[in-house]
Amino acid sequence: MAATVDERLAQTFVELADTLVAGYDLMEFLQTLTDRCVELLEVDAAGLLLADSRGVLRLVAASTEQARVVELFQIQNDEGPCLDCYRSGQPVIVSDIRADRAAARWPRFAAAAREMGYAGVHAIPMRLRDQVIGTLNLFKVVPDGLDPAVVVAATALVDVATIGILQERAVREHEVVAGQLQRALNSRVVIEQAKGVLAERLRVTPDEAFVLLRRYARDHNHPLTELSGDVIRGTARIAGGK
Amino acid sequence: MAGERTARVWAWIAAARDGDVPVSLAVLCRAAVRWLGVDGAGVTAVSGPAVSEPLSASGELSARLEELLFTTGEGPGAEDFMFGSPMLIPDLESVAARWPGFVPAAVAAGARAVFAFPLQAGAIRVGVLSLYRALPGPLMPQQLADALVFTDIALQLLLDSSSGISGQDGYRPLDGLSDSRAEVYQATGMISVQLGVTLEEALVRLRAYAFAAGAPLDDIAGDVVGRLLRFDPEPGPGT
Repeated sequence: MAATVDERLAQTFVELADTLVAGYDLMEFLQTLTDRCVELLEVDAAGLLLADSRGVLRLVAASTEQARVVELFQIQNDEGPCLDCYRSGQPVIVSDIRADRAAARWPRFAAAAREMGYAGVHAIPMRLRDQVIGTLNLFKVVPDGLDPAVVVAATALVDVATIGILQERAVREHEVVAGQLQRALNSRVVIEQAKGVLAERLRVTPDEAFVLLRRYARDHNHPLTELSGDVIRGTARIAGGK
Repeated sequence: MAGERTARVWAWIAAARDGDVPVSLAVLCRAAVRWLGVDGAGVTAVSGPAVSEPLSASGELSARLEELLFTTGEGPGAEDFMFGSPMLIPDLESVAARWPGFVPAAVAAGARAVFAFPLQAGAIRVGVLSLYRALPGPLMPQQLADALVFTDIALQLLLDSSSGISGQDGYRPLDGLSDSRAEVYQATGMISVQLGVTLEEALVRLRAYAFAAGAPLDDIAGDVVGRLLRFDPEPGPGT
């Protein structure tokens, strides 16, 4: 069992490394990474949150764009495992968010997670040396912790995400880091705007618009961020239909 | 906490006013000079790939530099920002080859470091906030973090000046744009299609609507995304 996880992990690293070529699309890369988190780490949803310059955690990629799940990632700016993980720089593993202790610690987040049907909630820090730049958030429907081998795998995936975002393996200056984080966060905003444009044109929800956007990007080998820009400018025509 | 930095920067800007005048970009530039450890600050509006126009500047140095950016068409404010990250140049002379027109003139005018921040939200790009220093040296991490909040507020002021709400009593930036929820950006995209306008215009309208309704921007955006609220083009003359 452990061997197959290792094998799949190795394949994922090869796949992600292949993506990290010159001119790669960061949003597509992070999207793939969160999808692989779900498969490899055997969780039900994964989201990657980056801290902006004010320390606000903002979602940059998620395995599901379902609005209510996205909300669950985001409310952790007020309270929740992600915020604690971001502040402490340590993984936060909550086997059962429905337990009294978790509910007492994060009343609002615990209630929202419960309502969404999630029990296991975990956060892994995204580090750049002594600085925490974001967190990987994992949700499980069944009450369950993360065993140490899975935490190691998740940490490795998060490190790959850091490399993808910062582009350089030896970033020294805080200025460069701040610039790259801004860039990643702004790319995410372009995608949200394109979701809105497409949702209105095709009379679908933003969640459905994202599915169409991503499918088109893959089918046409068109980078997601660039495609989003084309949708906004009206130079890419994406048809509806599910 | 995240909100504290925004509240602090907003208080600095509010305190830089002369009396009770509304907060403006000029006031923001003055506060930036006072609190960010720089010698000049300026905001330039971008209304096309190559057209930029100085809007406001604080201090003689920045006024001259904004003019130089405009006349040479070079420099960090004029260059298309790759991927929208800030352009931080702690030593201007190190980039002389890149901007042969701008750098010598800027150095002659007394600038040795330039930090330029795009005023943008996703695909919306309305201008640049530029900070100048008479001596070379980087922004410290806290100054950089504060500068990004100044940038966020400058973006909001610029958007809200086109709908006129920034001059009204009780105006303050609605929310930090950079920590707005995804719905705000989705709603912006939807409204741009509903009205047949640019994303920038759509965001201006959304913000003006929220201000007039006295409601949080997130709530109004949620109504748009949930299709409880639509922005319809106003009937033109004769219709």
